[in-house]
Amino acid sequence: MSGHDSKYFSTTKKGEIPELKEELNSPYKDKRKDAVKKVIAAMTVGKDVSSLFTDVVNCMQTENLELKKLVYLYLINYAKSQPDLAILAVNTFVKDSQDPNPLIRALAVRTMGCIRVDKITEYLCDPLQRCLKDDDPYVRKTAAICVAKLYDINAELVEDRGFLESLKDLISDNNPMVVANAVAALAEIQESSSRPIFEITSHTLSKLLTALNECTEWGQVFILDALSRYKAADAREAENIVERVTPRLQHANCAVVLSAVKMILQQMELITSTDVVRNLCKKMAPPLVTLLSAEPEIQYVALRNINLIVQRRPTILAHEIKVFFCKYNDPIYVKMEKLEIMIKLASDRNIDQVLLEFKEYATEVDVDFVRKAVRAIGRYESIIATLCESLDTLDEPEAKASMIWIIGEYAERIDNADELLESFLESFPEEPPQVQLQLLTATVKLFLKKPTEGPQQMIQVVLNNATVETDNPDLRDRAYIYWRLLSTDPEAAKDVVLAEKPVISDDSNQLDPSLLDELLANIATLSSVYHKPPEAFVTRVKTATQRTEDDDYPDGNEAGYSETPSHAAGASPPNSSSSAYGATRQSAPAPAAPAPAAPVPDLLGDLIGLDNNAIVPVDQPATPSGPSLPVVLPASTGQGLQISAQLTGQDGQIFYSLLFENNTQTTLDGFMIQFNKNSFGLAAAGPLQVPPLAPGASARTLLPMVVFQNMSAGPPSSLLQVAVKNNQQPVWYFNDKILLHVFFTEDGRMERTSFLETWRSLPDSNEVLKEFPGIVVSSAEATLDRLAATNMFFIAKRKHANQDVFYFSAKIPRGIPFLIELTTLIGNPGVKCAIKTPNPEMAPLFFEAIETLLNA
Amino acid sequence: MISQLFVLSQRGDNIVFRDYRGEVQKGSAEVFFRKVKFWKDDEDGDAPPAFNVDGVNYFHVKVSGLLFVATTRVNVSPSLVLELLQRIARVIKDYLGVLNEDSLRKNFVLVYELLDEVIDFGYVQTTSTEVLKSYVFNEPIVVDAARMANLGPAAIFMQGTKRMPGTAITKSVVANEPGGRTREEIFVDIIEKISVTFSATGYILTSEIDGTIQMKSYITGNPEIRLALNDDLNIGRGGRSIHGYGSSYGSGTVILDDCNFHESVQLDSFDIDRTLTLVPSDGEFSVMNYRMTQEFNPPFRINALLEEAGSFKAELILKVRADFPSSITANSILVQMPVPTYTTRVSFELEPGAAGNTTTDFKESSKRIEWGLKKIVGGSEHTLRAKLTFTQEPHGNITKEAGPVSMTFTIPMHNVSRLQVKYLQIAKKSNSYNPYRWVRYVTQANSYVARL
Repeated sequence: MSGHDSKYFSTTKKGEIPELKEELNSPYKDKRKDAVKKVIAAMTVGKDVSSLFTDVVNCMQTENLELKKLVYLYLINYAKSQPDLAILAVNTFVKDSQDPNPLIRALAVRTMGCIRVDKITEYLCDPLQRCLKDDDPYVRKTAAICVAKLYDINAELVEDRGFLESLKDLISDNNPMVVANAVAALAEIQESSSRPIFEITSHTLSKLLTALNECTEWGQVFILDALSRYKAADAREAENIVERVTPRLQHANCAVVLSAVKMILQQMELITSTDVVRNLCKKMAPPLVTLLSAEPEIQYVALRNINLIVQRRPTILAHEIKVFFCKYNDPIYVKMEKLEIMIKLASDRNIDQVLLEFKEYATEVDVDFVRKAVRAIGRYESIIATLCESLDTLDEPEAKASMIWIIGEYAERIDNADELLESFLESFPEEPPQVQLQLLTATVKLFLKKPTEGPQQMIQVVLNNATVETDNPDLRDRAYIYWRLLSTDPEAAKDVVLAEKPVISDDSNQLDPSLLDELLANIATLSSVYHKPPEAFVTRVKTATQRTEDDDYPDGNEAGYSETPSHAAGASPPNSSSSAYGATRQSAPAPAAPAPAAPVPDLLGDLIGLDNNAIVPVDQPATPSGPSLPVVLPASTGQGLQISAQLTGQDGQIFYSLLFENNTQTTLDGFMIQFNKNSFGLAAAGPLQVPPLAPGASARTLLPMVVFQNMSAGPPSSLLQVAVKNNQQPVWYFNDKILLHVFFTEDGRMERTSFLETWRSLPDSNEVLKEFPGIVVSSAEATLDRLAATNMFFIAKRKHANQDVFYFSAKIPRGIPFLIELTTLIGNPGVKCAIKTPNPEMAPLFFEAIETLLNA
Repeated sequence: MISQLFVLSQRGDNIVFRDYRGEVQKGSAEVFFRKVKFWKDDEDGDAPPAFNVDGVNYFHVKVSGLLFVATTRVNVSPSLVLELLQRIARVIKDYLGVLNEDSLRKNFVLVYELLDEVIDFGYVQTTSTEVLKSYVFNEPIVVDAARMANLGPAAIFMQGTKRMPGTAITKSVVANEPGGRTREEIFVDIIEKISVTFSATGYILTSEIDGTIQMKSYITGNPEIRLALNDDLNIGRGGRSIHGYGSSYGSGTVILDDCNFHESVQLDSFDIDRTLTLVPSDGEFSVMNYRMTQEFNPPFRINALLEEAGSFKAELILKVRADFPSSITANSILVQMPVPTYTTRVSFELEPGAAGNTTTDFKESSKRIEWGLKKIVGGSEHTLRAKLTFTQEPHGNITKEAGPVSMTFTIPMHNVSRLQVKYLQIAKKSNSYNPYRWVRYVTQANSYVARL
C-alpha cells in the first residue's frame, strides 16, 4: 500500500514544474494567470520555482494588471538568484514605466526598486527621474519611496543623479501623500548619512505644518516625527508650533496622538510662560488617558510612554491616578505597567486610595504581579501597620517571608510586632524553609530592639525550634550563630544583626536624569518602550545583512568602489569619519609613516564615496584590505592565529574591526566572539561573520556593536576583554582598550553661549586637568580638522600670554557632554588639557583618547 | 520602517509572509513564535507586544486567533506599527468578509496584493479600504460565513432579533452579492464597554465607559451623511469647573471626558449642534471614540456573601440584579469568582426554574466557580447558592482569600451612557432613494468586578 502512495507522490513532484511550464505558455490568458497564481502559491510555501523564471517573465507583457502584479511579485523574489535572467525583464520594466496607465508606471518603478540587482538598478535611474516629475500623484509618491530604495542600494548614484534635490522639491508638492512619502524617504536617507541632507528650516517647517492638516493619518506620523527634530528659535515660535500640532491630539489614530504629544513635550521645554505650559498639560491629559481605552497592545506602549512623561511632568496626570487602577482582565504586561505608574503618581493626597487598591491586588492570581504589588506597598513605611492587618491572608511563601522581614526590620515602629510574630511561631515547624529563616531573623531583631520579657520567651521558642527540632542545615547554622552571638556579646549581636543596610536602589525608581532626557526625546519610538537609548538596540547596519546573505553581485564592486586599494596603503584609514585617527596605536604591519596633516577636505570627500564599501563586512576571504589594525593576539600566543582589532565608530554606529590571519597548518572555522562586561556595556550586535580560513589565509570583518548591553559596575575603565573561539583551537582571551572618542556623537556641537553657560553651571570640582608635556601641536588647523572628524567640535579660540587656548565640545551616548580647553604653544612641546563634565569619573578615559588623537 | 510582515496561525504556521527590506533573516517567524510561546515557560503572563531578540524588534497583535507580526531593526514608532497591524487585519476582513486561517489561505494572492499596496519599502501608504479598491484587482473568494468564529462586539447582532440582517458583518465590502446587486444599506453601531468596580459594601469605586460609534457602509456613490448626537452633549470634565455650576447639569446631560474622530469626519457644526458630517469610506471604521467617567447607572448589581459554615465548610450566596428596563434582555452572562485555594468541592443549589437558563461549574485547577446564564430580563434578580468544602481550616477572614466576583455580559439595544444617535441623514440622490439604515446599540462588560 505504501508503494502505491509513494508512487503517486513522486509523480506529482516530478510533474509539477513541467506542468506549470506548459500552463505558463498556454495561449489562453486565463490559463496563464491561473498558472502564475499556482507558481506564486508554490513560492510562498517555500518551494523552489526559480526554474520557471523565463516562462513567468514571458507573461509580463500583458495589459492585465492583475497578472502583471503577480509576475512582478515573482520577480522580486527570484531576481536575486537569477540576476542574468532578470535582465530579460528590464525592457518590459522600462516600457511599463512609460505606460499611459499611471498604475502601471508606478508599479514598474516600485518593483524595479525592490530588485537589488545592479543591472536593473542602472536602468532604474531614467524611469525614476521621469516618475519623480510625473503628472499623477500616485506615481510621484511611489517614486519618492523609490529614491530611498535606491539610496540603500547605491547612495552615490542617488547623489550623482540629483535625486535628493528632486526629493526635496517634492516637499512642496500639492499632494499630501507625495509630501508624506518625500519626508519619510528624506528622513531615512538622513538617518544613514552623516552629512546634513534633510535639514528642517523654518520655511520647511511651515510648509510641513500646512501639509499636516491634509495628510492621511500615517503621513501625519511621518511628518510629526520628522519635525520633532526641529529646534524652535524661541518661546514664541515654540508656542506657534504647539498651537498647530495640538488639534492632532483629537485623532483616532494612537500613533498620531503619541507623535503629537512628543512634539508638544519637546516644544514645551522652550516655552517660558507657566500659564501656557499648564494649559498644555491640561490639554494633553485626556488624550493620553484615552489611549488606555485602545487595544491592550497600544495600552502597553502608551503606559511605557506615560511612565516617562510623568517623571518629567508629574502634574499632567496627577489627578488621574484612578485610570491606572488595574482591570481584572488586563493582560499581565499592562497590569505591571499600571502598577509602576501608580507608584510614581502616589502622593500624600492619594496614598490611602492607592494603598487600598494595592491591597486588593495582593490576592490576585498572578504571582509576579502580587510580588510587585507587595513590594510596592513595602516602599511606604508609614503604612506598615495597615499592611500588617492583611498578614494572615498571605499564603504565598515569598510574600509571607517578605512581610515577616518587614516586621523584624521595623519592629520598633510596629506596636504589636511581638503579637504578629508570635502568631506565626505556633506554626513554625510547618512553615516552608524561607519563612522559617525570616521568622528566626525577625524574632532576633525584635529581641534586640525590644529586649522585654515577651520577646525573650519567643526567642527561646524559636532557637529551640530552629536547632533541636529541624534537620534543615541552613536554618540550624543560622540559629546557632545567633545563639552564640546573643549569649556571648549582645552588643556585637546588635552590630551584626541590626547593621545599617546599604540603600538598595529600587528597580522602579526614577531613571537617571540624563537617560530620562534622552528617552523623553525619544517618546513615541521603540526606545521609549524599552526604556533604553536607541543605540542600545538599534542594529540596522546599512548594508550588512543584505550583502552578506547574497553573494550574487558578481560585478557589484566595479562601479563605486574602485578606490579602495589606493587607500588601503595610505596612512589615513578610509573606513570612518570618526575613527580616522584611531589606528595609530602600535600596528601589526607597521603602517607607512603618517603623512602629517593629511589633506582633510579630500579625505572627507573620499569618505563619503566610500561609505558603502566600508561597512560591507569583507568576508570574501584572502583579500584583506583596508587600514592596518593593532595586533591584539599575536601569532605566537594564538598558536599561529593572529588577530588584529580595533573599535571604530561610523555614523553613530560602533564597529569592532577585526583581522584574522591563519598561520597554522589547518583550516580554522566556526569563529565566535564574546565580550566581557565592560564600562560601556559594549557587546556584539550580531554573530561574528568570518569564513573558514585556509592555512595562510586571512579575513577581515566589521562586527556591528551595541552599547549599554552588559555593563560592568565600578568606575569607568577602558578595559575591553574579548574571547574568541573557533572549532580547532582553545578559546583565546585578549585585552583591548576602549578609546572614548569612538563614542563621540554627532550632536555634540554646542553653541558658544550654551558652552559658557554649561561651563559656569558645573562646579569647579568637576574640572579635571592633565598635562601632556611630550605632545607637539604643529598645525592648529590640521589638529582642529582631525578633532572635528571624531566629533570633537571646535567652539572658540583665544590667546593667553603667548599661548593659544582652544575650546571644544563633545558628547557621548546618554547625553554626557565634555567641555574641553586645550592650551598650547604651537610648534612647541607641551599641551595642557582641562575638561569639565558632569561625569568627571570619565576624565581618565577622555585623556587617553585625547592623547591618542593629538599624537596622531 | 517595517522590515517584514507576517501572519501566523495559533499553532505558529506561516500563513502570510512578506519581506519589504531584506534586512532581517528569513527565520524570524520561527524565532518570534518560539519566543512568544515560551515566554516565561508557561501561561504565566503573555509576551509584551514589542520585544527585541538579537537586534530584531518584533511587534505583534492578536486578531481573531491569528498573530499579526511585524519586524524592524530601527527605532520606529511602536504605536504606528501596532495600530497598522490592527488596521491590516481590518482591511483584510473588509475584503474577505471573514478573517480566519481558511479565508487567508484561500485568498493569499489577494492578500499579497493588498500588502503590497498598504506598505512600500516598510512605509505605510494607506489602510483605507476605499482607496485600496482602485489599486487592487484580485477578487475575494468568499468563504462560508457559517463556519466563522469570533467577530468582535458587533457579532451580537447575529443572534439578536430577526430584524437584524445577520449577514451584514460577514459581507465583503468589495465582493458582489450572489444576486449580482448589492443592497444599499448602512450600519451604525454604538458599542459601549463598561468597567465598574464595586466595593464590598456595594459602593461604586470606579466606573468608566469606553464607547465607539462604528460605521460600515454598503451605500454606492458615497453620499454625505449626517449623524446627530444628543444636543446637550458636553465634552471635558474640566467644563464643569469653568461654568462653576456643577449641579446645573440635569440628569439628561451626557458629559464625555474625551473623544476623538475618524479623519473623514468634519466637525464644523459639531460645536454648534453636535452633528457629525462625513462621507463614509468603504469598510468598517470608528467614526468616533469616546470615554466617560461620569456616574451612570450600572446595569447589574452584584451581591456576594461568603460565610463559614462549620469546620472545613463555607456557604456562598451570589445575587445578581438587573437594573435596566424589562423590555431589554441581557445575554451571555458569566459570573466568576475565585474561591480559597484549599477548596476541594463545591455543590451548587439553583433557584427554581433556572434549569434551562443556567450552568454552574467549579474549575478545580484554577479554584474558580463559574455561573453562566443565557439570559437575564431587565428588572429580574437571580441567586446562586453554593456549599464549599475545604481541606483545612481557613486562616482567618475567609473573604480575604476569595473573590473578587467578576462578570461578563452583553446587553443589546441598550447603552448606559445615554449617548444617542438622534438621526442619520443620507444626502438623497433621488426621491425614491432610501437605503436601509441600521442604528444599533450594545453594552458589554469590560472589567465588571465586585470585591468581597
